[in-house]
Amino acid sequence: MTYMAIPNIGNYTIALATAVESLGINAWASTATTPAALKLGIDAAPESVCLPLKAHLGHFIEADRAGVEYAFMVNSVGTCRLRYYRHMIGQILKDLGLKIKIFGLGFDGFKPPIVRHFDPGPITFIKPLFHTVQKIKVIDELEVAAWRTRAIEITHGDTTQVMNKLLVELSESKTMAQTRAIRKKAAGCFADIPVDKEKKPLKVGLVGEISFLRDKCLNKNIEYILGSQGIELRNFFLLGEELQNITRIVFLNQSRRKSLSKLADRYLQNSVGGHALDSVAYSIHCADEGYDGMIHLCPSGCMPEVSVRPILKRVSKDKNIPILEMSYDEHTCSVGIATRLEAFADVLMERRKKNSSTAQRGKRAGHG
Amino acid sequence: MIMIKRLHESAGVYIGTGNKFLRNISPEWMWKSGTDSCSSLRIGIPRMFFYYIYPGLWETFFSELGMKPIVSRPSTTKTVEKASQISETEHCLPNKLFDAHLAELVGKVDMVFVPRVLSTIKNHLSCPKFGPLPDAARADIARGTEVLSIDIDVSRSPLSKTLLLLGKKLNIQKSKTLSAINSSFSAMEAAHKKMARPDRIKGAPRFLLIGHPYVIHDNFIAGPILNKLESMGVEVELVSFADDTPAKSYILWSTANKIYHEINTLTSEDYDGVIQLTVFNCGCDSMMIDTYRQLMKDKNIPYMYLMVDEHLAQSGIDTRVEAFIDSLRWRQ
Repeated sequence: MTYMAIPNIGNYTIALATAVESLGINAWASTATTPAALKLGIDAAPESVCLPLKAHLGHFIEADRAGVEYAFMVNSVGTCRLRYYRHMIGQILKDLGLKIKIFGLGFDGFKPPIVRHFDPGPITFIKPLFHTVQKIKVIDELEVAAWRTRAIEITHGDTTQVMNKLLVELSESKTMAQTRAIRKKAAGCFADIPVDKEKKPLKVGLVGEISFLRDKCLNKNIEYILGSQGIELRNFFLLGEELQNITRIVFLNQSRRKSLSKLADRYLQNSVGGHALDSVAYSIHCADEGYDGMIHLCPSGCMPEVSVRPILKRVSKDKNIPILEMSYDEHTCSVGIATRLEAFADVLMERRKKNSSTAQRGKRAGHG
Repeated sequence: MIMIKRLHESAGVYIGTGNKFLRNISPEWMWKSGTDSCSSLRIGIPRMFFYYIYPGLWETFFSELGMKPIVSRPSTTKTVEKASQISETEHCLPNKLFDAHLAELVGKVDMVFVPRVLSTIKNHLSCPKFGPLPDAARADIARGTEVLSIDIDVSRSPLSKTLLLLGKKLNIQKSKTLSAINSSFSAMEAAHKKMARPDRIKGAPRFLLIGHPYVIHDNFIAGPILNKLESMGVEVELVSFADDTPAKSYILWSTANKIYHEINTLTSEDYDGVIQLTVFNCGCDSMMIDTYRQLMKDKNIPYMYLMVDEHLAQSGIDTRVEAFIDSLRWRQ
């Protein structure tokens, strides 16, 4: 059986693994970078490149050691370092003397090289792609449900358990009918979790660099830490939305990005690169929607995300919304992250109490 | 037998460590018409990024338009101290210095000029840090001061057209803007020529210094290294960015591709070594250093890279440069 290693993008890796089946081969992937793989990557990569590259590199080295012959890396068309990832990873793997062959998505002629190499039949090729899109939609729904439920669950860990169970089922699902059944079942599963309906959890938005928004190992399981503190999350990277975004750019030349730049126009008049515009626009959006706070995640020295930080600070001051800036490097420890998040949650809680008491006082004064 | 050609020879004002190449030489392209019109608009130009990318262009352009351009002073240790107080901690060193230069101008001028340099060569891109530069200036350092900005995107429209648009933005007659564009372009050419290569002198070891234009021409970052090389009696040439048509490669960052193109044509007879000057947290260089190193290895040219951060000390630089040059001398 031929295997192909694909990059980790959190739970969406399950859907991508289905996409690989369209080439008639199996995917070699995990939903989070392992610490061992990260270490391999750190050892092999130049020291000053950003952490996602090291994570992907380590993942591919691990794949080669497991005997995987092929690997796939995404291409980007932006200005940031992601554009050179594939080239650089390929170069480093070659220098290390590894045999794994890396494909991208580039076109040179009618078919992309990756499709030409495996040459699957048209039916084998198209069917799994539809399945992939369906799976991405299901994962989007699961994520949204999990963020909402985890904040108000009575027994800690219930939501995570249900989520993991559903994800395993989803990764084992082979046909579109099975996936449809899981989708139907999912809503019921989440509804069965005992929750405290009276509770009004704090609402926090997560913005920043995508690998850190999605990869549990890289962001030290930030979603779980925040959820178990009773914070309702909104992670602003959903692959379904993102794909819609990209395909609309290709086909209709009209995108969500346009509405984002309209939203951010007062603070940022350029899309910068990476997800910097999204970070600014969603921070403004969340402030207007009445979120309690924002968390901005990025690898240390991330070119686009770091360069918009002065703008985020201004948004925070103007719109009166606290923004916690977190940057991660190789030495980031999960305990340190947890401490900072707990402190941030405490600040938000006190802030809410203070605001509500002043509001009440204002009301009373108004009546008097 | 020392030939160090650099932009600082033409720097207008300098307060610093007594570098003999950084004397008070007033260039002809500065203060051209600004002297007689004290009442005219004072426009501040930070001595970073776009100032070095388009050397000599901005001062001439604005003074021809009847404004008074004020360029911030070359960076010194004091600039770095200021930068570490006011700037975002994770910025690269030039971006921090840029913030300090901007802060120096704020309050002294009527408006500051911060263009958005999106690309400088056709079908290439700039560093993503340039994208939010004017917005970040408005949000933070230059808050309260008017920020004049224009998008320079050579992939979409040539520089002359962009400058014409800038003139229109400032409510200046088209004919006046056109003549200003002409004279500023020739000033830029002259400034590039000043930095052009010296003729080969027999006997002296010859080195090429590569790096971003705002790194290799900055007084704080490159000063100590050029000083040291000069005192060791070697000939240093700074990589030229005058050529606007580098061959296409997989690199799309304009400066990185220009450097790549430049060192791709080097031969081991022309140069005794290549020194790369890079700054802490520079994203472009972090990806490119390995490519450059491999290329130099293939060509059998000795290569060293020096990373500079805020804590740059002359002694540390001295040790490394001496070791590199001595090892090359022993090799011969």
